[in-house]
Amino acid sequence: MDRLKRAALITRLLENLKDKGSWCGETHAQKASFFVQHLMKVPLEFEFILYKHGPFSFDLRDELTSLRADGLIRLEPRWPYGPTIKPTELARKLQNNYHRTLGLYENKIAYVADKLGAKGVADLERLATALYVTGQQGAGDPPEKRAAKLSEIKPHISADQALASIREVDQMIEESQTILH
Amino acid sequence: MPKHTHEIRDPIHVFVRLDNPERDVLNSKPFQRLRHIHQLALTYLVYPGATHKRFEHSLGVMELASRVFDVITNPDNVSGEIRNRLEPLGKADSDAWRYWRRVLRMAALCHDIGHLPFSHAAEDLLPEGWDHERVTREIIASEEMRQIWENMTPPLRQEDIIKLTVGPNKVKDLQFSDWEAILSEIIVGDAFGVDRMDYLLRDSHHLGVAYGKFDHYRLIDTLQILPTPSPSEENQSGGEPTLGVDEGGVQSSEALMVARYFMYSQVYFHPVRRIYDIHIKDFLKDWLPGGVFTTDIRKFLSITDNEVTATLRKAAFDDGEPGHSHARRIVRREHFKRLYERNPIDVGINPEAGREIFDALSRQFGTDMFRHDRYSQKGGSPDFPVRMRDGRIVSSLAVSEVLNKVPVVSVDSVFAERGIFDKAERWLNENREKIIEPRKEEDANG
Repeated sequence: MDRLKRAALITRLLENLKDKGSWCGETHAQKASFFVQHLMKVPLEFEFILYKHGPFSFDLRDELTSLRADGLIRLEPRWPYGPTIKPTELARKLQNNYHRTLGLYENKIAYVADKLGAKGVADLERLATALYVTGQQGAGDPPEKRAAKLSEIKPHISADQALASIREVDQMIEESQTILH
Repeated sequence: MPKHTHEIRDPIHVFVRLDNPERDVLNSKPFQRLRHIHQLALTYLVYPGATHKRFEHSLGVMELASRVFDVITNPDNVSGEIRNRLEPLGKADSDAWRYWRRVLRMAALCHDIGHLPFSHAAEDLLPEGWDHERVTREIIASEEMRQIWENMTPPLRQEDIIKLTVGPNKVKDLQFSDWEAILSEIIVGDAFGVDRMDYLLRDSHHLGVAYGKFDHYRLIDTLQILPTPSPSEENQSGGEPTLGVDEGGVQSSEALMVARYFMYSQVYFHPVRRIYDIHIKDFLKDWLPGGVFTTDIRKFLSITDNEVTATLRKAAFDDGEPGHSHARRIVRREHFKRLYERNPIDVGINPEAGREIFDALSRQFGTDMFRHDRYSQKGGSPDFPVRMRDGRIVSSLAVSEVLNKVPVVSVDSVFAERGIFDKAERWLNENREKIIEPRKEEDANG
């Protein structure tokens, strides 16, 4: 995907997350982008690996830095945690040039923001890792088996939490079908 | 009495010490090759002092990695929560602690072992799917190195060295434990990686500039493994462990980030240095069979800056040699001149203004007359945990105004061949606004 087109999508996602009450730090941007790409099939073309707080893309991290260099986003420090990422007026101008692309993916981005906007870092880690495990093992695998894998990857996530996260992700997969088709 | 420890003089760290098994790595063919790979490619054509090599930098990275390891694993610097989460921290000076210290030192020593001639300048000239980190991985797993790892006491697992050397960004098929992630952060980490610490200090020293210097003694002394501060209610004990600093290290962290900014903006992205990188890449494309480096490790290890430089000089004075025109531009200092430079006004109109200008100039005057250089700083924001004096752990960006204001370095330049420079410049001045004007998607084809 063309870099500026992708920048329009990322900044729109960040705006939607903020509108839904998200802290909108880097972890929130990472996990929401993972859902947009892997659940809603929006071709952002980032490569995600399992890393800190679950799925993480070094490409996306670099891209967020580039967006800062281009003045499309800025960081707003918030005591005492990490900063909030804020799209700027320039990002709005950029989005105006990509109505067609935004129109194509608007409802998918809005769905992810709606589901994840209110969640904290720990919730996002559990859910994104649950989606990652489901993607690796296939949604046909029993939830208990996927939950066990999730707990194995992230030992600090309890069995109950893991199963709840897998079930929540299954629910999102089911809901997403209506939007995707 | 036989000597077990060997000292090497170093202009930055005074002495770098190795024991006998570690000296076997130093004496290996892949490592000795680094004596012939310039740290900063052709930068010596701009800053004559920049003749230092990857060899001494690698020794420096090993030395700093050891110092960081000793500080962050010192029981006085480790909280109970972190100790429980990272098993080898349980007992300092245990077998596990000694094993991982050795792995870290060897990973640091070998982190550049797969570098191509002229370092990053030629990075794109590896076949699809390869980069210097993958070559590094292959070399660490090679037969010569395997024997060295196996002869150490205890033997080192190749996979452990590879993980720490290359880091999770480039070893996507291997999973990292929290402990391994922390150790790889010591070498290649975004905030406190000792690779960067050493090259900033060393490059500054050799180039004769002060931009890259910072108080690394103080900084390293304040490093700690800390949980990432997290706003999540159910996770008050903190997020994933990562490298952070004690409150007393905030100023030296700021100095490191400012040093990085100045070195990038004043040295690494110096326009003449950048165009020499492009010219050497153009030369190598013409000179190498098929325009790419071999990934046969034995053959790969036989090519250094020396072989390329000898050919470059010959090609510069013989128009029958492959790459003659590019070699001439370097050896006779007839490099392209910068015609367009990224600026805030143009970026505000179109963040990819340089690409538009390059394309327009190429259409107007011919592609071979111009080169486009686009690069943006990698890595994230300087956001790391800080342990305050009252015990709270907060984000560095919440306590440091300086860190919030360090700019991101980004390059977007167009260079022109000297013979056409004036004409192209006049044409660009007349057409610039129209060229960079952003097109709405509906107006664009496709």
